[in-house]
Amino acid sequence: MRASEPEVPSPEGRDQHLDGLLARVARGDQAAFEAVYDILAGLVYGFILRVVRDPAQSEEVSQEVLLEVWRTAARFDPVKGSAATWAMTIAHRRAVDRVRSAAAAAAREQRTAEVPVPHDVVADVVEASLDAERVRRCLDRLTEPQRESITLAYYGGYSYRQVGERLGIALSTIKTRIRDGLIRMRDCLGVS
Amino acid sequence: MASLRRSQHSLTGVYALDALDTPVEVARFERHMARCQGCTSEVRGFQETATRLGMAASRQPPPTLRAAVMDEVVRTRQLPVPDDRARHRRLAPRLTLLPRLATAGAALGVAAAIALGVVLVNTQNELGQARRQLALTQTQLAAVNAVRTAADATLVTKATPIGGTVTVVSSAARRQIVVTTRGLPPQRAGKVYQLWLIGTSGNRIRSEGLLGLHNGRAGPVLITGVLPGDIFGITLEPPGGSVQPTVRPFVAIPA
Repeated sequence: MRASEPEVPSPEGRDQHLDGLLARVARGDQAAFEAVYDILAGLVYGFILRVVRDPAQSEEVSQEVLLEVWRTAARFDPVKGSAATWAMTIAHRRAVDRVRSAAAAAAREQRTAEVPVPHDVVADVVEASLDAERVRRCLDRLTEPQRESITLAYYGGYSYRQVGERLGIALSTIKTRIRDGLIRMRDCLGVS
Repeated sequence: MASLRRSQHSLTGVYALDALDTPVEVARFERHMARCQGCTSEVRGFQETATRLGMAASRQPPPTLRAAVMDEVVRTRQLPVPDDRARHRRLAPRLTLLPRLATAGAALGVAAAIALGVVLVNTQNELGQARRQLALTQTQLAAVNAVRTAADATLVTKATPIGGTVTVVSSAARRQIVVTTRGLPPQRAGKVYQLWLIGTSGNRIRSEGLLGLHNGRAGPVLITGVLPGDIFGITLEPPGGSVQPTVRPFVAIPA
C-alpha cells in the first residue's frame, strides 16, 4: 500500500488483524490494546458521535466502550462474528442507552429538529474511506422508506416502535422494511 | 403458532440493529433464534452489515480520549480467559444436553448433575467443589431435581452485559424455574443482586430475594409459582434489596 492511499485497510484484513490482537489483549497485553485502540477509536468515536451528537458525551461513551473492549476481550468469540462487529455492537448498545435515557432524549429532540436524520446519511463523514464510499453507494440503492427506517433505528438510536410512531407506520411494516433493506444492503456490500 | 414464528422471524433485522423495545422482546426473540438456524445466520449477516454502516461514520477522535482510556486500562481488571474446553462446550447445542444429563446424573450423583446441568461448564475437579458448596436441604434438592428432569424442562443460558452467564431451567407444568449463575462480577460496595419475576403486563413484579455469590457462582435457586409469560430478571439494588426494581434488569430470560 502506498503512503498516499487511505490508511483504512480492507474489512477482511482488518478483521483478521484485530482477531489476533484481541486474543493478546485478553491476556493483558497493553501494547496489543494500543494497536486495537488505533484501529477502533476512530470507528467507535465517529459512530457514537453520529448517534449521540454531543461531542463531550460522545467522548465519554467512547471511553466506556473502549474500556469494555479491554475488560471483556476474553468474551470475544471469532466464531460468532468479526471483531469489528463485536466492538461496534458494544458501541451501538452504549450509544443507544445514552440517547434513550429520558433527559438526553429531550435535548436531542431539539437538535434532531435542526438536523434532518434520514437524508444524507454519511454527509458529515470526514474521513472519506473507500469503505464509506461503498456504504454510501449501497444506501443509495435502498428505497427511501427502507433507508429512512434503517437510519432512524441505527444512527438515530430509536427503537422500531419509536420509528413506527415517528413515521406513523404499522410495526409489521417497519419490521419488513428494515429486514428487506438490510438484505439489499448486505448483498450490495458483499457481506457473506 | 406458525404466524407467531413467522412474526418472530421477521424481527431479525430489528434485532440486528438493536432496535427492539424491551429486554422482554429481546429474550423472546433470542429464544426463537436458538431454535432457528436460518435466523442465526441472517442476524449475523445483518450485524456485519450494520457494522459497515457504523464504520462509515468514522471520525478522528479527540486526542484526550486516548490518554483517558489508557489511564483507565492500567487500573481496570479484565475478565478471565475461558479455557478451550469450556469454550467448546459453550458452543454445543444447549437443548440436547438435558437428556444426556439425565444419564450422567445417575453416575455422578444428584448435586453433581445439577451443577453440570445448569452450569453447563465443569470439570471433574470443580464438581467436588460444587457439591460442597451446594448447602441445600434434601427437600430443596429434590425440588430442584424435579424441575430439571421434568418432561417439559427447557434450558436457556445467557451471557450478561456485565459479565458471566445466567442459566434458567424451567418447567411450565410445575410452574417452577431453577436459576444458576456463573462468573457474575462480585457485587460492588453498596450493591446486591436481586432476583425478580416480571409479569408480561409489566405491572406485577415480584421480588424473589437476593443472590449470594460464591466465587462468582450462585445457585441453584428454586423459584416457585411462575405464571405463564413471566420473565425472570436480575438487577443490582442497594443493600437489603428493593421492593420494586430501581433499574432495568441487566439480564432477562423468559421463565
